[in-house]
Amino acid sequence: MNRKLADLVAKKKVVICVGSGGVGKTTTSAVIALQEARRGRRVIVLTIDPAKRLANALGLESFTGTAQKVELEMAGELWAMMLDMKACFDEVVQTYAPDETRDEILNNRIYKYFSTSLAGTQEYAASERLYQLYESGEYDLIVLDTPPTTHALDFLDAPNRLGDAVNSRALQWLYKPTVFAGKKGMGVFSMGTSYVVKILSKLTGAQLLDEFAVFLSAFSTLFDGLQERGKAVRELLSTDESTFIVVSIPDPLTLKEAAFFYDKLGADKNTVGAFVINRVHDFGLDADELDRPLVNISARLNEEFSDKKSTARKLVENAKEYALLKSRDFSALQELRGQIPGYVPIVFLPYFDRDIHNAEGLERARYELFDNEKRV
Amino acid sequence: MVFYVLRNGAHLNLYEKRLVLFSGKGGVGKTTIATAFAMSCAQRGMKTLLMQINAKDRIGEIFDRNPIGEELVELGPNLFCVNSTPASALREYALMTLKIKIIYRAVFENKIVQSFLNAIPGISELVLLGKAYYHAAVEKKGGELKWDIVVVDAPATGHGIFLLKIPSVVTSIIDSGHMFEEAERMKELLEDSNMTSINIVTLLEDLPINESQMLLESLGELNISVDYIFMNRVLENPFSADEGNILEGDSAKADSITDSLLLAARFRKSRLDLQNKYLDLLKEKIKRRRISIPYFFEGVNNQGQLEDISQRMQKQLSSDEQ
Repeated sequence: MNRKLADLVAKKKVVICVGSGGVGKTTTSAVIALQEARRGRRVIVLTIDPAKRLANALGLESFTGTAQKVELEMAGELWAMMLDMKACFDEVVQTYAPDETRDEILNNRIYKYFSTSLAGTQEYAASERLYQLYESGEYDLIVLDTPPTTHALDFLDAPNRLGDAVNSRALQWLYKPTVFAGKKGMGVFSMGTSYVVKILSKLTGAQLLDEFAVFLSAFSTLFDGLQERGKAVRELLSTDESTFIVVSIPDPLTLKEAAFFYDKLGADKNTVGAFVINRVHDFGLDADELDRPLVNISARLNEEFSDKKSTARKLVENAKEYALLKSRDFSALQELRGQIPGYVPIVFLPYFDRDIHNAEGLERARYELFDNEKRV
Repeated sequence: MVFYVLRNGAHLNLYEKRLVLFSGKGGVGKTTIATAFAMSCAQRGMKTLLMQINAKDRIGEIFDRNPIGEELVELGPNLFCVNSTPASALREYALMTLKIKIIYRAVFENKIVQSFLNAIPGISELVLLGKAYYHAAVEKKGGELKWDIVVVDAPATGHGIFLLKIPSVVTSIIDSGHMFEEAERMKELLEDSNMTSINIVTLLEDLPINESQMLLESLGELNISVDYIFMNRVLENPFSADEGNILEGDSAKADSITDSLLLAARFRKSRLDLQNKYLDLLKEKIKRRRISIPYFFEGVNNQGQLEDISQRMQKQLSSDEQ
C-alpha cells in the first residue's frame, strides 16, 4: 500500500517515463537514473530531448547518439544517450537488410524523407533502441524518456503498426501485384489492379505510387525482424522487470491526459508503477490566511519604503496569486487521486524557484523525489 | 511612432494576410493564441475561419459548444471554426479531384484502399494543408473569396515542420500529376509572405525557446519566413526597483505571516529573474518582433479571458500596423 517510489525503481530493469510534452519527462528520467546509479547500479538514461541544460546538469556538453559516461562520485555508473532517429533507422537497415536491398533502401527518396518524420517512427526507433540496450545486457537499469505524445499507445504499438502497415494486403498488393491478381472477395481489387491503380494515380500521380512501391518491396525484407523485435519489446514491457511512470504537471488538462495514459497502458495489468507530478506549487499560505489587515503586515516590514502600505498590499496580492495556484494544483491532484487506485503512488515534486542546470539542482530534485517523497 | 520595415520593404500587418499559422512547442498555448488572434480578426469585421488540425478540440469547450469536428461551427459574429481530420480532408480532396462520386464510393470506401491510403507517408499532411489552402485561396461565395482570413492552429514543432515541408517533399519526389500541381500551388502560397504569415508561440523557458529556434531554422530552409514570436504566459513584475532588496536572498522556511509573504514574493522574484534571462536568450537567438501575453494565475479556460488576450494582442499588433 505504501510502496515508496524508491522501492519501485530499485527492483526494475526498465523504467519508461511517459507523458505529454513539456512536463519534465527528461528531467524525471535523469533523476531516476541518478538515484539508481547512486545505489551502485549501472544505469543508462535514453532521452529523446536534446535538452542542453539537462546535459549540462549531468556534466555533459550535450546529449549524443552514443552512450556517454557521466562522472559520478559514487559507486554506480550513469550513462546518457540521445535517440538519434536517422542513425537508429540506418543502423537497422545496415544490420538487418540483405546485401542486395540495403543500398536500395538507404538511397530511396521516400526512405530518406520519411524514415524520421513518419507518424510513429520516433516511437519505433525508441523501441528498437530499447531492445538493443536490453539485449546487450550491459546495464542493470534502462530509463527511457519517451517521445511526447498524447497517444500513450503509440510507443507500444509503433513496431506493430509499422509491421502491420507493410504486411497489410493493401500494401502487398502494391509491391507484389501478382499475388492478388484475379483473387475473389477483394471488392474493387478483383476488377483488376490496373483499374484501382489508375484511379489512385489520378489522385497521387503515378510516379509517387511507383516510388512507394520500390520503397515497400525493398523495406519488406526487414519486416520479419522488425515484428519479431517489436514483439520481444512488448513482452519485456509486460513483465515485472519493467514499469511505466506517468509524468505530468498539475494542470487539469495535462492531468486528464495523464489519467488517459494510465487507462491506455492497462489499468488492470499494473503496468503503471507510479505517477510523478512535477512543478506543484507547494508553498506559502492558503487564501483564507491572507485576509488580514494590511497594517499588521506593513508594521512588520523592517525596511524603509516610500510607501510601506503599498508594498504590503503587493506582497499580499502576490501571496494570494500563489495561494490560488496552490489550491488549483492540489484540487487537480485530488481529482486525479480519486480516479487512480490507492496502490498506485502519486508522488509530487515542488515547483523549484530555479531551473535544473547543474549537478546540485539535479540532486535537489532527486532528494525531493526519493528521500523526501511527498504524495497525495 | 515605430515603423518596422521588412526585408522586402513592406511593413508587417498580420491583418492583411490571408493565411496565418501558429506553431511552437507542445503545451505553450498555441490554441489559446490562435483563437485569440482569430477573435481579434472577427472583431475587426473580417470573415474569419479558425482551423484546427486534427486536434483534441478544446475550443468548443471554451465557447460552450459541443466538441468541434469537421462541420463548420459559428463561434460568434464573423468567427467560424472547424477541426479538420486527415480522413475528412482526404475524402474532400478525392471528391474534388475525381469529381465523380460513384468512383469515389467504389474505390475510396473500400477498406483495403483506405488502409493503403493511410499508409502512404505524408498524405495526411498534404491533404490537411491542402484544405487550409482551399479555404484561404480557392473557396468562393457569391463570386468573392469566402473567408477574409484563415487562422490555423498548427501542430506542434515536429509535426508542424512536417506539415509545412510536405509540399517541398512532394515536389522533390515527383514532377507531374495532380498531387504535384497541388503541392506546387501550396508551396507558392506558403512562400508568399504577402499572403501567408507563420508565427511561433513560445514560453520564456529554455526548451520552448530552443524549439522555436529550431522551427525558425527549418522554415528558413524551406524559404518560409516567420513574422512574430508570441511570448505566452509572461509573468508580470508587480514590484518596483526599490522593493527589490527585500526580495533578495534565499527562500527561507516561513514561520510568520510576513515571512510567508516574503517567501512567495521571493519565489516570484526568482522566476522573474529566470524569465529575464530567457527573454535575453530569445532576443539573442530569434530576431523577430515579439508579442507578450501575460500569465493568468487562474488559468485560461473561458471566453472572457480569451477576449482579454485578444485585445492585448490586437493593441500590440496594431502598433506595428501604421
